[in-house]
Amino acid sequence: MGKYLIRRTLQLVVVAFVISVLTFLLVHLLPGDPTVSILGTNDTAANRAILLKQLGLNLPLWHQYLTWMGAIFHGNLGDSYLNHESVSHILITGAPVDLELIIISQLIAFAVAVPLALITSRKPNKPLDNVATTTTFGLLALPPFVVAPILVAVFAVGLGWFPATGYTPFTQNPAQNLHEMILPSVAITAGSIAVYYRLLRSDLISTLQQDFITMARSKGLSSRRIMWRHAFRPSSFSLLAAAGINIGALIAGTFVVELLFVLPGIGYALVQAVEQRDYLVVQGITLVVAIVYVLLQFVIDFIFTIVDPRVVRE
Amino acid sequence: MTESQGITRRTFLSTGAKAGGAVVLAGAAGSALAACGSSSGSSTSTAAAGTPGVGTGTPVTGGSLTVGLVAEIDGFYPPSNHWDTNGFIYANTLYDPLMAIGADGTIQPYLCQSMTANATFDSWTMTLRPNVTFHDGSALTAAVVVSNYNELKASLLTGQALAQVTAVSATDPMTVVYTLAAPNPGFPAGLTSQLGYVVGQSMIDSVKSGNKSPTPVGTGPFVFQNWQPNDHFTATRNPHYWRTGLPYLDQITFRPIPDTIQRESTIKTGGVDMLQSTDPLTIKRFEGQSGYQVVDTRTGVLGEPTMAFIMLNTTTAPTNDINIRKALAMSLNQGTIQKIFGGGFAKPVNGLFLSDSPYYSDPGYPAYDPAMAKQLVSQYTAQHGQPKITLVTITDPRLAQVVQIIQQMWKQVGFDVSISQIEQANLITEFITGEFQAATSYQFGAIDPDLNYVWWSTTTVKPVGSIGLNFPRNSDPVIEQNMLTGRHSSDQATRVKAYQTVNSQLAKDLPYVWLQQYLFSEVATSRVQNFANPTLPSGAKQYPYDEGIFVPTQIWLSK
Repeated sequence: MGKYLIRRTLQLVVVAFVISVLTFLLVHLLPGDPTVSILGTNDTAANRAILLKQLGLNLPLWHQYLTWMGAIFHGNLGDSYLNHESVSHILITGAPVDLELIIISQLIAFAVAVPLALITSRKPNKPLDNVATTTTFGLLALPPFVVAPILVAVFAVGLGWFPATGYTPFTQNPAQNLHEMILPSVAITAGSIAVYYRLLRSDLISTLQQDFITMARSKGLSSRRIMWRHAFRPSSFSLLAAAGINIGALIAGTFVVELLFVLPGIGYALVQAVEQRDYLVVQGITLVVAIVYVLLQFVIDFIFTIVDPRVVRE
Repeated sequence: MTESQGITRRTFLSTGAKAGGAVVLAGAAGSALAACGSSSGSSTSTAAAGTPGVGTGTPVTGGSLTVGLVAEIDGFYPPSNHWDTNGFIYANTLYDPLMAIGADGTIQPYLCQSMTANATFDSWTMTLRPNVTFHDGSALTAAVVVSNYNELKASLLTGQALAQVTAVSATDPMTVVYTLAAPNPGFPAGLTSQLGYVVGQSMIDSVKSGNKSPTPVGTGPFVFQNWQPNDHFTATRNPHYWRTGLPYLDQITFRPIPDTIQRESTIKTGGVDMLQSTDPLTIKRFEGQSGYQVVDTRTGVLGEPTMAFIMLNTTTAPTNDINIRKALAMSLNQGTIQKIFGGGFAKPVNGLFLSDSPYYSDPGYPAYDPAMAKQLVSQYTAQHGQPKITLVTITDPRLAQVVQIIQQMWKQVGFDVSISQIEQANLITEFITGEFQAATSYQFGAIDPDLNYVWWSTTTVKPVGSIGLNFPRNSDPVIEQNMLTGRHSSDQATRVKAYQTVNSQLAKDLPYVWLQQYLFSEVATSRVQNFANPTLPSGAKQYPYDEGIFVPTQIWLSK
C-alpha cells in the first residue's frame, strides 16, 4: 500500500507539472491578448507596448512561465488584469457555488439512479425497466443548456416555485440558498442520473447471476438483503469510477448552468476570463481545477483499494 | 446565450473616443454654460401620466431597486476602467459628472456650477459647485478636480483623450482653468464622459499606494456598499447628497445577467425590478404587457444612434473593389434582416443618422437592387473569377441566424460566401489589425458626430497587420477634411453640412453596409417610477436615456 501511495503521489506531481505547462501554453496560443480589453480605443502600438511591458507580457514565454510558477510557489496565483481581483479570491468565492452545485446534483442523481437500478435490475427487460431505460436515454440526450430554460419556463416563470436567477450564500441564508440552487442542480443532474442508472443496472444484472448470489438466495436471505448487502457493493465499482470522473468534470464544468442562472462560480469566472484574455485568471483557475481533478481521481483510486483490494496487488 | 453583439461598447465606445475633442450640439456652442440655479429635488413627476419611465404622483422616499444589467464592468476608477453602457450606469450611481447632456442636446453644468471659455475657445474656466462633499466627508475642491485630471492624463486608457489639454490649474479653491492646445468650442462635451466623473482624493491616494481595486469614493447619490463581480453590486442612499431631497431610493443593486431570456425571466419572477436589454425582441415581448413599462431608443436619440452593420475591409481583395462593396450592399434586403434581427422594430437606415435627425440628408446609399448586384458580380467574375467572401461574426445564435440570411442573399447574386464564427476578443483583434474581409459589428452611438472622428480619420488608417482604429482602412481625405471642419466650427449650419458630407462619402466609399439601428431598451415593473425622466441640477430636463444609460438619482418606487 505504501509503495502504491508513493507511486501515485509521484504521478500526481508529474501530472501537475504537465498541466501547468499545457495550461500556460494553451492560453498564450489563443489569438489576441488582454491589451485589447484593457486599452479599448487607446490600443495604439505605443500604448500596447507600454502595457505589455507593465504586465510582463513582453518577456519570452519561458520567462513568463517561470515568473508565474515562482509566484505560485509563494502562494500567489496572480490578479485579474481587468478588475484586479485576485485569482485566489475568485477561487475562494466561487468554489462554494460549484461545490454546492456538485453536492446537490450528485445527491439527487444518486437518490434517483441507485434505487431505480436496484429495482429494475431484479426484473430486467420488464415494463418498468424498459420505461426507466428509455427515459434515462432521453435524459442523456438533454444537455443542461436545454434543460435549464425548460426548468425556468415551467418552474420559475410558469409556476413561480423557484427564482429564475440569483445566488445567496448558504452562510447568509440557508433556506434562500437551497431555494435558489434547486433548479440549477436539477439542470445538471439529468446526465448524471442516466449514466449512474445504466452503469449500476448493468453491473447489478451481471452480479445477480454470480454464484455467491445464488448461494445467498439458497440460504433464504431476503431479496432486499441480497441486493443491498451482497449485490450492490461489488456492482458499485463502475458507478464509483463514473462518479469520480463526473464529479471531476463538474468542477468548473458547470459553467453553462452558472451562466444561465447567474451563479458566481468558478466556471462562470473562467468563461469570462477566457473571453477577455485574462491570462492569469484562466491559468490560475485551470491549474487549480486540474489539480483538484487529479487529486479527486487519486482519492477515488484509493477508495477502490478499499472496495476491491485486488487493485493494489495489480 | 449572450446578447447579440458586434463590438461591445465595453471595448470601443468608451472614454477615448467619447472625449476626443467633442463639440456641442445644436447651437449650444456657448462660451458661457452657466448653471441657473441650485439643486432640484422634487421635479420628477411632471410629464404626461402614463408615459413609460416618467413618474406620476408624488415621489416616495425609500425602498430598494434591483436592476438586471447586460454585463459586468471591470471597475470604478475612471483612469483605468472601461465604462460602457453598464459602466456609466454604475458611474451615475456613485459619482457625478462635471457636465451633463440636456434633453435638448446642450451641454450643461452638473457638478460644476459654470464653465466659460475665453474669446478664442482655447481656455476654459470652470467654477465648482459649493458645499459638495464626497462620501468620505471630504470637500469637492479645485485641487481634487486637478488631481483627477492628472490621473486621467497619465493613464494609458484616458490620456490620449486629453492630448488637447496642455495645462490644468486650480486658480482658487473652487476654480479650475483648462488650457487647450487649439481652440475647441465643444470642450465641455468631453466632460460628460468618463473624463468628467470626479472621484475623491482618498480613492486616488489609495490607487497611488498600490491598491488596484479601490473602494469607490464619489459625490454621487449612492454610497458603495459591496461588489462581487459577476454576481451583484449594492449601494445605499447618500444621506449627505448635495442635491437636496435626493436620491429617493434607500438602496440600489445591480445584477449582471448576460443571457437575455434569463434576464427577462428574472423580472417576471420578481428577481429584479428593472432590466436593460440590447435585444429588440425584449421590446416585442414586454411592450403593451400589463405591469411593465418599456423605454427604448427607437425615438429620442440625440446625435448618432448606434448602428448595426457589416464592416468591409477596403484594402484587401475582393472588398477593396468598390463595385464588389456596392454589390454587397445592393444585395441585402434590410427589411428581411430587420424582421429577424430587429423584431421588426428598427427603422430602415441608409447611413449614420436617422431620418428625424438634424444631421440627416439622403446620403445616396445604394438601394436594394439584386439584379444590379448580380451584374456587378458578373463583371468582377469575368475579370478575376468568383469573388470569395468570408463573413466573420461572433459566436452568438441570433447573429448566426442573421449571417446565414446574409450569406444566402450574397450567394444569390454570385458571391462565394463562407461564415466564420469566432470569439469577440478575436474579432476585435481582427478589426484592429485589419485582418478580415467582412464582419458584423455595431458602433457609432454618439451625442455628437465628432466623437467618432477616430474611426473614420485618415490618420488612423494603418496597413493590414498593424494596429489601426480605422478598421475598414477607408482612407478618404474628404471625410477627414469634413470631420475637422465639424470639430473646429461653432456654426451649426457648417457642422451639419460637414457631417452630411461625411455621411454621403461613407455611402460612396461603402466601408459599412448598414443593417439597422441597434436598439437599447429598459423594462421596468410598473412600480418603478421616473427611470427615464432625470433633471439637471438647474431643474432643466436631462437627456433621459442616452443609448441605454439611465440616471438613478430620481428613480422612486410607488407603494
